[in-house]
This record gives sequence, structure tokens and C-alpha cells, in this order.
Amino acid sequence: MVEKKKTTTKKTETKKQDTKKAAPVKPEVKKQAPAAKPAATGSTTQQKPRIGVFICHCGTNIAGSMDINAVQEYAKNIPNVAYIDNYKYMCSMPGQAVINKAIHDNKLTGVVVAACSPRLHEPTFRTATKEGGLNPFRFEMANIREQNSWVHMHDQEGSTDKAKDAIRIAVAKASLLQDLFPKTVPVEKAAMVVGAGVAGMQAALDLSAAGIKTYLVESDTSIGGRMSQLDKTFPTLDCSQCILTPKMVDVGRESLIELYTYSEVHEVEGYIGNFDVTIRKKARGVMTPKEAEAKGIVGGGCNGCGDCETICPVVKPNEFEMGMKPRKAIYINHPQVVPLLYTIDFNSCVKCGLCVTACGPEKKAIDLESKDEFVKVKVGTAILATGYELFPIEKKEEWGYKRFENVITGLEFERLICASGPTGGHLVRPSDGETPKRVAFVLCAGSRDNTGIGKPYCSRFCCMYSLKHAHQIIEKIPGCTPYIFYMDIRSFGKAYEEFYYRIQDEGAKFIRGRVANILEDSKTKKLHVMTDDTLLDRPVDIEVDMVVLASAVQPSADTNRTRKLFGVSCSMDGWLLEAHPKLNPCGTTTAGVFLAGVCQGPKDIPDTVASAEGAASAASIPIHKGEVELEPYFATCIDEKCAGCGMCVNLCPYSALALVEKNGRTVMEVTEAKCKGCGTCGGFCPGGAIWMNHFATPQIVAQIDAFLLGGEQ
Amino acid sequence: MSETGAKHKFAFYLGCIAPNRYPGVESASIKAMKKLGVELVPLKGASCCPAPGAFGSIDLNVFYAMAARNLVLAEQMKMDIALVCNGCYKSIWEVNHKLKHNKDLRDNVNEVLKEVDMEYKGTINVYHTAELLYNDKFIGVDKVRDSVTNPLTGARIAVHYGCHLVKPHKDREFEKEVMMNTENPTWMEELVAAIGATPVEYRNKMQCCGAGGGVRGYDIVHALDITNEKLINLQEEKVDALTDICPFCQLQFDRGQIEIQEKFGVSYNLPVLHFAELLGLAQGMSPQDLGLDLHGISCESFLQKVL
Repeated sequence: MVEKKKTTTKKTETKKQDTKKAAPVKPEVKKQAPAAKPAATGSTTQQKPRIGVFICHCGTNIAGSMDINAVQEYAKNIPNVAYIDNYKYMCSMPGQAVINKAIHDNKLTGVVVAACSPRLHEPTFRTATKEGGLNPFRFEMANIREQNSWVHMHDQEGSTDKAKDAIRIAVAKASLLQDLFPKTVPVEKAAMVVGAGVAGMQAALDLSAAGIKTYLVESDTSIGGRMSQLDKTFPTLDCSQCILTPKMVDVGRESLIELYTYSEVHEVEGYIGNFDVTIRKKARGVMTPKEAEAKGIVGGGCNGCGDCETICPVVKPNEFEMGMKPRKAIYINHPQVVPLLYTIDFNSCVKCGLCVTACGPEKKAIDLESKDEFVKVKVGTAILATGYELFPIEKKEEWGYKRFENVITGLEFERLICASGPTGGHLVRPSDGETPKRVAFVLCAGSRDNTGIGKPYCSRFCCMYSLKHAHQIIEKIPGCTPYIFYMDIRSFGKAYEEFYYRIQDEGAKFIRGRVANILEDSKTKKLHVMTDDTLLDRPVDIEVDMVVLASAVQPSADTNRTRKLFGVSCSMDGWLLEAHPKLNPCGTTTAGVFLAGVCQGPKDIPDTVASAEGAASAASIPIHKGEVELEPYFATCIDEKCAGCGMCVNLCPYSALALVEKNGRTVMEVTEAKCKGCGTCGGFCPGGAIWMNHFATPQIVAQIDAFLLGGEQ
Repeated sequence: MSETGAKHKFAFYLGCIAPNRYPGVESASIKAMKKLGVELVPLKGASCCPAPGAFGSIDLNVFYAMAARNLVLAEQMKMDIALVCNGCYKSIWEVNHKLKHNKDLRDNVNEVLKEVDMEYKGTINVYHTAELLYNDKFIGVDKVRDSVTNPLTGARIAVHYGCHLVKPHKDREFEKEVMMNTENPTWMEELVAAIGATPVEYRNKMQCCGAGGGVRGYDIVHALDITNEKLINLQEEKVDALTDICPFCQLQFDRGQIEIQEKFGVSYNLPVLHFAELLGLAQGMSPQDLGLDLHGISCESFLQKVL
């Protein structure tokens, strides 16, 4: 006990000493610049800061709400300001030239531009700073537009004062900024795509076509995803399988695509350019010819003959057919699966061994004792295409799904109307197998729902597929009337509105009203759809034979686990978050990880494929470039101050930190390529041993002082 | 534990229809709950709740102040309120909830209450007795089952939940925490099964009785039309009785059948009993103790089946 105490005291003492000198020491270390560093910058680091301030009018966006001259007059007297100017549009070529010239003429050591948000023009002004001969990270932006003139449009005096504060704060930081040099890391010439629905398949095909080795991981037994369950697609009425199977076959054939079905991403380590991914191949019980050969069974392995399935005594509901058709414990979901390889559902298998006998001594494809296998691969970039599932619409009790037999979901309708489905394409009522004469379609079932039980967003493709369903029953069942209950029909895509008119002409009945309640006649199993017809302003009670709920969609069950492995954020409703909703819809905040298809938010097939091609293109750029530049905002550890407590290691959301042995001491080490510079560790470190590049404690303290002291520093 | 051995004590708010039209609900509630370890102490000096449709749609300030006065009486007794009527629940539970969460409203109400030397403090909760029966925290279905001495075996009983106890879903904490289901609840059916009867599902179970929201007072024929629709749906399932947890709904179904016969010329003769009355029967109370002879529709056929 006593000994321990002593050590603690010692440590504290050392810490105290270090605090005094270490802060200025560390920046010097970081200034050991690589060869590329321009000679001019070196000399600027030692002298007294000389900051140039450039105020932008942004036309009248800024100048219209504040007194630019007053701001400029004030800024002249801010400490360290050596030059000040204003211009109508700083971001224009002449505006940038002003900065360039001022740096040269006034020997500036830092640049402050007071203009818009750094998210908009920071890159522009960094380039201008660099062209003026300074390190680009010597630039600081004061936002006097989004956070000032736009929000205080009617308060000239207030916004002028606020601009003065913003510039004073920015100058304080600019005075302490240091030269920083982006790092480059090499990129592995391989990519991973998680999820092999139409998005994942398209992305994998594009990547492989660009010459990139692609690992395609799918948790289901076959590729194809949701689209392979659909009968026809809107608005062209193409047979979904007919247009999808060629792609499935291509994926199966492409030599650059390594396909892992019935597999999951188990672990992800590393960073852009160098992800180490562990794939878990779930125990499947059936070997491919390749796997068989590896085990010395020449000419063996599964050839998809189906002898095993015929003899298997265990019957289970087929998930692909939404549980409306049986499958065996050893099964393929449908005849067009890729790969054509059987799978044993070990949760139901009774291990009777009949399939092993049926498979025979030549093929020897079945191994009832097979176990999960783990495969490690290295990839440069990854695309998540984890797709969606239906919201459990039985939670909306008022519509009676799972309570009333003849209330089904849109996906069940797809299987019932599909020629390869459980009824051979004959739409029948689940209760008695009769052909329906009146079918109701309930749109926005659980979508655009703010009751707290459904989803607040629009699921985006239900309007269109319900119109398609209406068309299909009119076409297939003479005299059958579809009743479409809608809030408003969102037919926004190419040729969609035309399709909507077509269905109206074909005789579908449209009733504008949110369905309040569905009641079942216990004898006839007919259903009463109750709503308010908001166009005629009267309550409606329509008797139908069956109801199709256009159920809301939600991220697939495994999305959350997978996104965490790759460090991708999600929105409140679980959809994966893109880097920017408009300008970077395929990227994520984790460098090297991209999004394709519905995992990012509901999309129809054209949008999904477009997003997949976008993601593939984005994911191939770093690979083709061969190396990536990383923003130098990473944390660095000041070894002398680090006590090796390791608290930061657990806090880091990007797994960028680790404890290592250095000169006989345990200290933290940052993997710079993984670090996002979020500052979590820096803010927490009890010993102040973490230096955040570009957001260092002295820089932030100077900003706070500049604000609080009102310039009287 | 109180002197009487009761585990829980509540201020019993009677409302208007139960004591005046169906006194059995009052006596059955007190006696049955006592057997289940809950003592209901009369809330003396209580006024009308006030009726949510009638008062609430005319003058909200009066509505809040009157309900708050009833709440203050219970606060003075230092007891939570238990009540037997959905309408009372709507008024008293909801006003209590609103006053607890809205300071401006509370100040306004206290301004009025000052005239009678009262102040609302927000120290108590409000419960429906059906909620106490179902919620394990107080009684629970198992204890209800154990208390039965005369199981109502063979009786087919349908449930009318009424509106205000379960809706609106957004507000009702009881719904969210215990039932999780507003559109097709089944917890009352569990209670019906616990006293030995067979619960029966029927079409449009959650439809209003027709009386609430001032509809009965405003347009009796319209109100009866809704009631009639429910009775048709109930008749289809050949039920022996309908049970409710709201004397106002009970009035509409029970006396309403007489009015329906007068106005539409249809008769159903469907006995309508508050769940407290059913529970009383199952615990061995006599029909006389329960005042079943005061019902508009004779309960004789039902009693013959279960006694």
C-alpha cells in the first residue's frame, strides 16, 4: 500500500513538471516536415504572427445585414492583424488573388477569411493560402454568413458586433496555427460489398468490371435479395426475375468476384486502404465441388440435383415465399438460386442422415458435422448494401394483420401473384383459396405515421408497387376491382405519373383517406375497410375479399450490427447515414466505406441501381489512385505526459488508439490513418497528454480567451 | 399494511351514474377489492368529475377547476384515487396529468381553488379499478383468479372496453406500460377468463357505445344507432352477457336496449354487467347484494346459467 502511494505521488510530480514545458515542445516535434514541405513555411513558424483578415460581402448576403466598414475598422486593432481587406466575393478568382498577393506583400503567417461556412469554401481558401506560399493549414475561417447575417438579417447592429467577435476569435486561433502535412497511405487493390441484393450485385459487377477484386458477402443462401422475390417491376412491368437472373448469373461467373453466401462480416479492423475483414461462413452442411476437391473428393460436391431435398423428412416454412410454401431442412429457396448449392438449416435438421445416403458415395457433398468457418481478407474499400425488411405491420393492430387471414402484405402479394410462387401465380384468399373479386390496397401502412407505432418517413416505393398490384389483378382476374386507399399518390419517377394515369383508366378505384380500421366478418372472412373519404367528405365502409397492406420498410435486421463493425453512423430510424445528403450520398463519415441501395433510405430499383453504381465508382477511386491522403487532424500522444492509463483507448469511437511499450513505459499510440480527430480522447485525457492537431488546447483556449476578454487580451 | 389488513388504500371516487343507477357497482367494487387486499375509502364531498363531454366542450376552465377540486380532496386524504368509470378517468386522470405538467394551467386552477381555501399540489395518482385488478403491481390476474369461489363457468361474455381508459394512446401511460395495445386490447378478456367465464371476441369490439362525447345528449337517435350496431355484432356471437368497465357505457347498453326497442322495434335482451358486478358474483355475492334487479334488462337468463 505504502509503496503504491509513493509511486502515485511521483507520477503526479512528473506530470506537473511536464505540463510546464511539454505543450510548446510538442508542436516542434510535429514540425519535422516531410521533404515536400515548401521552404517558405519554415521561416514563418518562428516569427511573431502576422495575420491577414479578408472580409467577404457575399454580394448582399453578408454586406446587406451588417456594416462591413465598421467590422474592418474594428479588425485593424485586433492583436497580430497585419493586413485587412474586403471584397465582394472572396471566393471568386479575383478574391483569391487578393489573398495570394497580400500574403506575399505583407509576409503574412496566417490567413482569416470571414465569409460563409467552412463546409462550403474552406477547401477554396486553403488552396488560395497554399498558392500564396503558406501551409494550407495556416488558414482559419470565420463564419459570418450562415451563423450570422442569415439568422440576424434584421439586426444590423447585433450582426456587426457578432462579426467582430467571430473575426477576433478566428485571428486568435490563426495566430497559433501550425504547418500540417497530410499523410498518404497505400490502398489494397480489392473491395468488399456487404449484401448481395440488386444493389450489392450491381456494385460488385461494376467494381470487378473496373478490374478490382471484389468480395461479395451475403447472409442468405442465395444472392438476389428482395428483388428476386418480386413478380413484376413498375412502371415497365418487366418480370423481375427475368431482368435480375442474368445479373445473378454474371455475379456467379465473374472470376474477380469472390462470392460468400450464407456468410456474415464478423470483424473489421484497419482503415481506408487497409481493412482486415473476417468473414464468418455459417455452417452450411453442404460442400461446393471446389470445397470437396480441396478435401480430396474428386468429382464430388453439390451439383444441385435435389435428391437430398426429396428424401428429407423435416418440413419448414420457406422464408423466400414469405412462409406460404414449405421447404425441407436441406433446401434451396427457389429454382434460380445462385450459387446452386443446397443448405442445411441446422436449427431444424434432426441429423437422420437420409440426405447423406441420397447424395451418394461419389458426390459426398453433405457434412452433417460442418462448423462455422472464418476467412480473413484484406480490402481497400467497402460498400454496405444491407437492404431492408418489412416493418412488422401487425403492430398496427387496427388493420388486423396476423389476426385476419385475408389481410396480407405487399411482399406476400408479390409471391401470390408470381407464376413461380406458392399458388403458381393464382391470387387466392388465404382463408379459403377462393379468387377475390374485390381487393383493397392500404397505402402508407405504417409509413408517414407519427403515432409512435409506425415510421415517420415515406417508404417511397409502396405507391408505385400498389398501382402495379392493381394493374396485375385487373389483368389476371376479370371483373376483379382494386380499391386503393391513399393519402396522396407519389409517382415521382420517370414514366411513373403516366403509369398512375394508366391504372386509373384501367378502372382501379381510388379513395383518398387513411384507413382507420379493418373489420372481419367472422363467417365469410370478408373484410370491411373503414375510412373517411376526404374528397367526398364522408365516412366509407367498403367490403372486400382481401386487403393488401403496403407495409413500411425498415433497415434489415443485421444492419445495425454491420454498421457498427464498419464505424458507420445511422439516423434515428436506423437508416445508414451518408456523408452529405446531397453532395456525398454514397460516402460515409468513415473514409473508405460507402453505401449502396436501401440501407441508406428507401429507394426503388432504378434509384437503388444508380446508387450502387455511384458507390462502386466512389469505392474504386482510392483503389485506382493507389494511395489516399488523410487529413492531418489526428491526435498525437505526448509520451512524456502519458501515464498509460488507457482510458482514451476505450473511449475512441474509431478504434484508433492502442497502448504500446515504448522505452520501457506503457504509452498510448495513435494509428493516424484511423483517427478522425474527433477530440474525444483529447478532451478526456486526465494528464493532458493528447495533442489534437489543428484543434490543440492552446488554440482552443486562445479562442475562448479572445471571446471572453472581448479583445482586451 | 393498514389496520384493516389492506395492502393498498385508495380514495374511492364514485362518479354519478354508478351510485344513482347501478349501486351494485359501488358495493361490488368495495367488497370485491377488499378481498383482494385493496381498501376503497369513500372520497367525501366529491362533486361530479365533471363529465368530460358535457363540461369539457363548453368551458375548459370550469372543467379543470372542478376536477382539480376532487383531486385536492384526495390529496388532503393523502391517498391515490381509484374510480370505476371511463368518463371519470378521462376527467380526473387527464386533468391531474395536465396540471402536473403545465404550470400556467396549475396557477390558473389554484387561483379559482383559492376561493374555497384549496390548493392543488399534484401529490397523488389516479387509477381505474380495472387497472388495479389487472396490474400485478396492485392485484394482478392470478390473485383475481384465486379469489373466485363461484366460477362463472360456461358463460360466454363479451367485453366492451369503452374509449377513455385506453385512448388516446399517446397520453395513456397505463396503456403504454402495462397493455401496449390500444387498437385490439385483450387484457379484460384475461380478467373474464380468470373468473371462469369464456371471453368472446366480436366484430368491431373497439367501437364506441354511442353515448360518449355528448352524443347521447345531442342526438339520441344517432347514439342509439351506434349502440344498435354493437348489439347486432354481439348477437352474432351469441353471447350470454356483455361486461363493461364504465357505468355510462353500461347505461347506454342496458337502458339503451329499452330505448332501441321503443324507437327501432328491435329487442336483444342482452344482460349488461359492470366487471365489478361480475367479479362480485364470482366471489359469491348474491344478485340482491349487487342490485342486479335494478338493471333495465333482466339478468335472470344469465344468472340461471352461472349460479
